[in-house]
Amino acid sequence: MSGVNLSGIIKAYGALQVVHGIDLNVAEKEFVVLVGPSGCGKSTTLRMIAGLEDITDGDLMIDGRRMNRIAPKDRDVAMVFQNYALYPHLNVADNMAFGLRIRKMPKDEIKTTIDNVAEILGLTPYLDRRPADLSGGQRQRVAMGRAIVRHPKVFLFDEPLSNLDAKLRTQMRAEIKRLHNRLGVTSIYVTHDQVEAMTLADRIVVMNDGRIEQVGTPMELFNNPANTFVAGFLGSPPMNQMKGQLTESGAQIGDAEIRINGATAGHAGRDVIVGIRPEGFA
Amino acid sequence: MRLYDHFKREWQIYAMLLPTIIWFLVFLYKPMYGLQIAFKDYSIFKGVADSPWIGFEHFKTLFSNDQFIRAVRNTITISFYNLLFGFPAPIILALMFNEVLHATYKRTAQTIVYLPHFISSVIIAGIVITAFSPTAGIINTIIGWFGLDPVYFLTQPQWFRPIFVGTGIWQEAGFGSIVFLAAIAGVNPSLYESAVVDGANRWQMMWKITIPSILPTILIMLIIRIGNVMEVSFELVILLYQPSTYETADVVNTWIYRQGLQSGQYDLAAAGGLFNAVVAFVLVMTANTLSRRFSRTSLW
Repeated sequence: MSGVNLSGIIKAYGALQVVHGIDLNVAEKEFVVLVGPSGCGKSTTLRMIAGLEDITDGDLMIDGRRMNRIAPKDRDVAMVFQNYALYPHLNVADNMAFGLRIRKMPKDEIKTTIDNVAEILGLTPYLDRRPADLSGGQRQRVAMGRAIVRHPKVFLFDEPLSNLDAKLRTQMRAEIKRLHNRLGVTSIYVTHDQVEAMTLADRIVVMNDGRIEQVGTPMELFNNPANTFVAGFLGSPPMNQMKGQLTESGAQIGDAEIRINGATAGHAGRDVIVGIRPEGFA
Repeated sequence: MRLYDHFKREWQIYAMLLPTIIWFLVFLYKPMYGLQIAFKDYSIFKGVADSPWIGFEHFKTLFSNDQFIRAVRNTITISFYNLLFGFPAPIILALMFNEVLHATYKRTAQTIVYLPHFISSVIIAGIVITAFSPTAGIINTIIGWFGLDPVYFLTQPQWFRPIFVGTGIWQEAGFGSIVFLAAIAGVNPSLYESAVVDGANRWQMMWKITIPSILPTILIMLIIRIGNVMEVSFELVILLYQPSTYETADVVNTWIYRQGLQSGQYDLAAAGGLFNAVVAFVLVMTANTLSRRFSRTSLW
C-alpha cells in the first residue's frame, strides 16, 4: 500500500508556526490536489512529504513506514518542481538519467528506461537537446519524465504548470491525468489554480492559513462547501455570499426573500450567509 | 536628429559613463601615442615626434638579447604555474565555502582569506621576506627543529617561483573566490533540491551541479586570466627578486623597468612592452575563440 498519511503535521520556523497540525490520508493510486491561496502552507506540506523541509511535529507515513527522519532519497518519492529544475548543462536524456545514475542503475537498463519514458512523453526526438533548446511544454515533460523513470511510490508535483501559458496548461493537465491513469502512482499535486484542482483531482484538499479547510471530491467541495472560505475559493466566478436572516420558509436578504428548500422552520431570525453560485440562476 | 534625441533623453547615463571614458582615454589611449618610439631611435631631447624612424631595429635587438629571451621564458613559466595552481585555488576555496553551513564560521573564514588582498604588496613582500629569513624566519625555524641547516630561500633561483606563486595564491585566492561564490549563489536552488530527492550526496551535487553551473563564469575568468598572462605581478617580483635569482625571477616587465627607467633605453623598453601587449592580445583572442567554439561562452 503506497498511501501517504499525515497525522498532526506541524511546521514552525522558530516561533512562527506556518502549518498547524494537518491530518490527511492519501490512498494508494489516488490523485490528491492541495489547493489554496499563496502562503497557505500547501507547498511547505508537500516539501515536508518530500523531505526537503523538516517536520516540526506529527507523523508522516509513506507506505506504512514513518518517514519523519528518513532522507529524501530513501522515501521513494519523485518531485516535479515549479521551475522544472532541469540541469541546464545536461541534455534531455542525461537529465532524465540523473537520478538513475546516482542510484547506480546499469547503463543498458538506464537506456531502456529512458527510451520507454521518452516514448510515452513524446520526447524521443529531443533526447539530445539541452533544456535551453526546448519549449516550456517540452521542459515540463522532461521534468515529469525525470520523475517517472524512477518508478517511485509517490509523485509530488509543486505547481508544475504555473509557468506555462493557458493553452499549454490545459494540454498538460490532460497529459498529467492520462499519465496518472496509465501509471497509477499515488500523486500529491500542489496548485493555487482551482481549475487545475477541479479537473485533475480524485480528491481536493483546500488549505488556508496552514490549516485544512475541507477534503473531498471536486463535486463535494463545489456543491457542499464546509465553510465560506471553501465556498468562495472554488468556482469561477466565485459564489455570491449574502448576509441575511432565516425566515420560516427561507431567508430574508435586504428587501428580498429567498425560498430555501430544507428545514429552516424553527430557526427564524438567526443570522445566515446565503451562497448562490452564478450557475444557480436560471 | 534621432541620435540627438537619444542623448537628450539618456544624458544621465552618459554622464555616469564619462569618468570611465576619461580614465580610459587619459591612462590607456593617450599613452599609446608614445608607443611609436618602439620604432624610433628615441632621444629625450628630440622628443617623440622628431626622433628618427628605424623600423623593427629594436625588435631585432630584443630577440637577440639573451636577457630578454630569458625574461619572456620566465614570464611564461611563472604565468603557467599561476594558471595551474593560482587559477583553481579561488574556485576550490569558493566550493569549500559553499559547503560550510555554519554561518559564523563561514563569515570568519571568509574574512581571514579576503584580508591579504587588502594588504599592500610591499607589506606582503616584507612578510614573505621575514617568513623565509634564514635567521629569524618561521620557515627556517621549523627547518631548524629537524636539525637541518637554514635555507637562503630568496637568494636561490629554484625557490623563487614556488614562493612567488604561493604568495600570489595566499594574497589573491580569497578575494578571487568572491566572483565564484557569486556564481554559486546564482545556481537555481531547486536543482539541488531535485538532486537531493534523486539521492545525490553533497560531493555529487558539487561535481554534477555546482561546477557545471559555474563553468561559464570559470571560462570567462580563465579568458581574462589568459589575457593577463604576460602581466606577472610586477611589484611583487621587483620586491622579492635580486640579481642572484634573475635567472628564474626576471620577467618581461622587470626587464622593461630596468632597461627603460634604470638604463634610459626607453625605445627598447617600449618595444618590449609592445611585444608583451601583442602576445597578450593574441592569447586573449585565441582563448575567447576556443571558449566560444567549445563551450558557447565568451567575452564577446
